Amino acid sequence: MKPASFAYHAPDVIEEVVALLEAHPFEAKALAGGQSLVPAMNFRLATPAILVDLNRLADLDTIGLAPDGTLRIGAMTRQRAVERSPLVATHAPLLHDAMPHIAHPQIRNRGTVGGSLAHADPSAELPAVMIALDAGVRCLSGSGSRWVPAREFFVGLFATALEPGELVVEIAIPPAASGTGWAFEEVARRHGDFALAGAAAVVEVGEGKICRAARVVLFGVGEGPVVVTQVTDTLAGRALDDRAILDAANRVAGEIDPPSDIHASSAYRRHLCRVLVHRTLARAAMRATVARS
Amino acid sequence: MIVEGVYVFTAPPAVVFEALLDPGVIAKSMPGTKELVAVGPHEYRGKMMVGVGPVTAAEFDLRIVLTELTPPVSFLMSVDGTGRFGFTKGQARVSLEPDGTGTRMNYNADLQVGGKIAAVGQRLLDVVSRAMLRTGLAALGKEVEDRLRGVGGPA
Repeated sequence: MKPASFAYHAPDVIEEVVALLEAHPFEAKALAGGQSLVPAMNFRLATPAILVDLNRLADLDTIGLAPDGTLRIGAMTRQRAVERSPLVATHAPLLHDAMPHIAHPQIRNRGTVGGSLAHADPSAELPAVMIALDAGVRCLSGSGSRWVPAREFFVGLFATALEPGELVVEIAIPPAASGTGWAFEEVARRHGDFALAGAAAVVEVGEGKICRAARVVLFGVGEGPVVVTQVTDTLAGRALDDRAILDAANRVAGEIDPPSDIHASSAYRRHLCRVLVHRTLARAAMRATVARS
Repeated sequence: MIVEGVYVFTAPPAVVFEALLDPGVIAKSMPGTKELVAVGPHEYRGKMMVGVGPVTAAEFDLRIVLTELTPPVSFLMSVDGTGRFGFTKGQARVSLEPDGTGTRMNYNADLQVGGKIAAVGQRLLDVVSRAMLRTGLAALGKEVEDRLRGVGGPA
């Protein structure tokens, strides 16, 4: 199918993008990689009156390391570039591990980091990973720029903290503390399909494998990324042994209420989450222990 | 698609039952409802704007018929909706039971969803309907509470 007609702007400078979005906060949509928006337009499910194409903004296609070790990724960086970046592999291995699970290479060639975050699909990998990494999202509008912690950025089904007319421009991932381990895993019917359920885990251990901090974020099982705090609260101050990890994984069923669809029932997704939490925590704990020694 | 769940109101069953049968209350609570009017005894017609995330909101024509009314215990609601993106059709059993000074409402709906929205958005139907229902029930709960305060008068 073909999309409904729309006005098209492709500015070379970000000031012009901001001005256009500011002038048409409800009618205009920002076009990043177009891997979700364009199909929705072609089905005529989305009928924005104005498209503001971000693809000429070269300044937003960057991966860099700040002097303090913070990894900074421009919103228009292609997912494929993140996947192949040695900087990302070294400084945000969780993100590196998650990238190949995002759809297919063709989609990652076009799809962007900022686009996935702004779209906020409940089954998307990147929102969960950014929360697990305690990342920040920089949002820009005519009245200036502000940093929103990833855990506050996702507020519901396809809903973010972005105000009308506001744009995601950059993501900042803070350096991991020493003794940090990570793991990412998802289950999909076929590789590249939307995940039935997935988990991103980050743990930080101290002396004697004692858990200093833990974050587990699930996706595909709610209205957005689900941070399971009851699961990680049980780990606080405990040694991350098999017993503690099993106890934590057994708690996840009570903390989520996953949807049912033709691919998987709610009960099956709940089961998957227990398995995924167990596996990711075990692997993250192992990596954390190795990182300390 | 089965949509079922439980919601607890602070008001007693009689107040909740009356509110559930009041198109004005329902129109105020359900997100996107533009109008809902009675066209016969326990028969309503309305218009609702439905849109989520990237889907531009579109208008749905709704027809709702309530049968098997047993105040203040239960009723059966038949829903028929059509819009640009597809249709929905089905029945919901709503039953109320006292829960302390409040009311425990059980709902169980069997809905068929068809058309473009079902073909394209299958994986999201459950999560979307749950999100809409959650927002709607929270608003309804507040509406019923206001009503209870109105009935009881200022303390």
